Amino acid sequence: MHIPDGFIAPQVYLPAYGVAAGLWAYAARRLRAVLQEETIPKLAVLTAFCFVVMMIMVPLPGGTSAHATGIALLAIAFGVWTAFVSVSLVLLLQALLFGAGGVTALAVNALAMGLLGSAAARYCFWLLRRVHEGFGLVAAGWLSVNASALLMALVLGMQPVIAQADDGQPLFFPFGFSVTLPAVMIPHALIGIGEGLLTLLMFRFLRQRGWISGE
Amino acid sequence: MRARIALLAYLAAIVLATMVHEVGFLALGLGLVLALAGRDWLRILRRACVAILLFNVVVTLSYAVIAGLQGTFSIGFVVLVNLRVLLLTSLTFLFVSRVNPFEALAFSRSLTYLFTLAYSQSMAFKQALENFRLAFKSRRIEQVGLRDRYRHSARMGVHFLDKAVHQATEITQVMRSRGFFDA
Repeated sequence: MHIPDGFIAPQVYLPAYGVAAGLWAYAARRLRAVLQEETIPKLAVLTAFCFVVMMIMVPLPGGTSAHATGIALLAIAFGVWTAFVSVSLVLLLQALLFGAGGVTALAVNALAMGLLGSAAARYCFWLLRRVHEGFGLVAAGWLSVNASALLMALVLGMQPVIAQADDGQPLFFPFGFSVTLPAVMIPHALIGIGEGLLTLLMFRFLRQRGWISGE
Repeated sequence: MRARIALLAYLAAIVLATMVHEVGFLALGLGLVLALAGRDWLRILRRACVAILLFNVVVTLSYAVIAGLQGTFSIGFVVLVNLRVLLLTSLTFLFVSRVNPFEALAFSRSLTYLFTLAYSQSMAFKQALENFRLAFKSRRIEQVGLRDRYRHSARMGVHFLDKAVHQATEITQVMRSRGFFDA
């Protein structure tokens, strides 16, 4: 679901790097304070977990499938900052070692998926679990995908407005909000249902094993 | 040191490539990247084309239809955006093929360890996922329903999370026993 290289103007990705850098530093300090010497191994394996979950296919009704993100589960089980750092590392690994995704879009993708996606999932679950836990988990999975997708659609949609040539032609991503919002949000509304169901099932399996209390 | 300079040069080139909007300069940049790739130029170019193909074709075709209907279609934009994406992707593949990214990140001991561990664990998990996929494929004799496919995906996810937690403990113990945290 992430934005590839070359479609975001420097007016957007450079400030995004500024914001993300501050948040990465804050998250690292926070995790070091909590985990101490376990920080590196724990972050490394959770990054690997996030990496592999992004390769697991979510079956969608109708015979198709999409990639899972696992961000909601990661945020619910380990917290927003751990999820943010892990997702950012996955994106860095993918960009530098596999040439997938992009270095210019890394900060925007990390903020959208890692921070907004995990924060939305965690707080959605926290609010809705009092009403119905299962619904809260499905909603958290759905929201993590759709909150990230919404931010990406907005970032892509603003490109023709902020970066255009003298003749009005776009210089980066060519479509405005009227195209990006429906084009990105409609498929993700469906993908989000799959992610939500997967979050619910994984959470229940984990609780059966006794290492998520659900509290 | 050389890797760190290469990393800085790569990042500067990436930013520069997104600030240039002249097709001629971008084409020159791509030519330079391919020249630096030496004998690997065709492999890097082919790999970059494959990597960008899907997204760029979708964006280009959608732009052609929408801008065509609005009467604002510009072939200059199509060339510009595709050339820039191709240049950025080729640049990344050139960097990855010439520089060891672990060495480039060696300015921070913790970051190097984190990156190395995350990479090695990711590769191990990826291999395990492939084994699961093949096992699932080889053991079914009829079409598997949506419910079972969900359960299978969820079980795999749980297995990896379980494994991740145990691996974290094991790696911490290994690092502690070798004095990593004493420094």
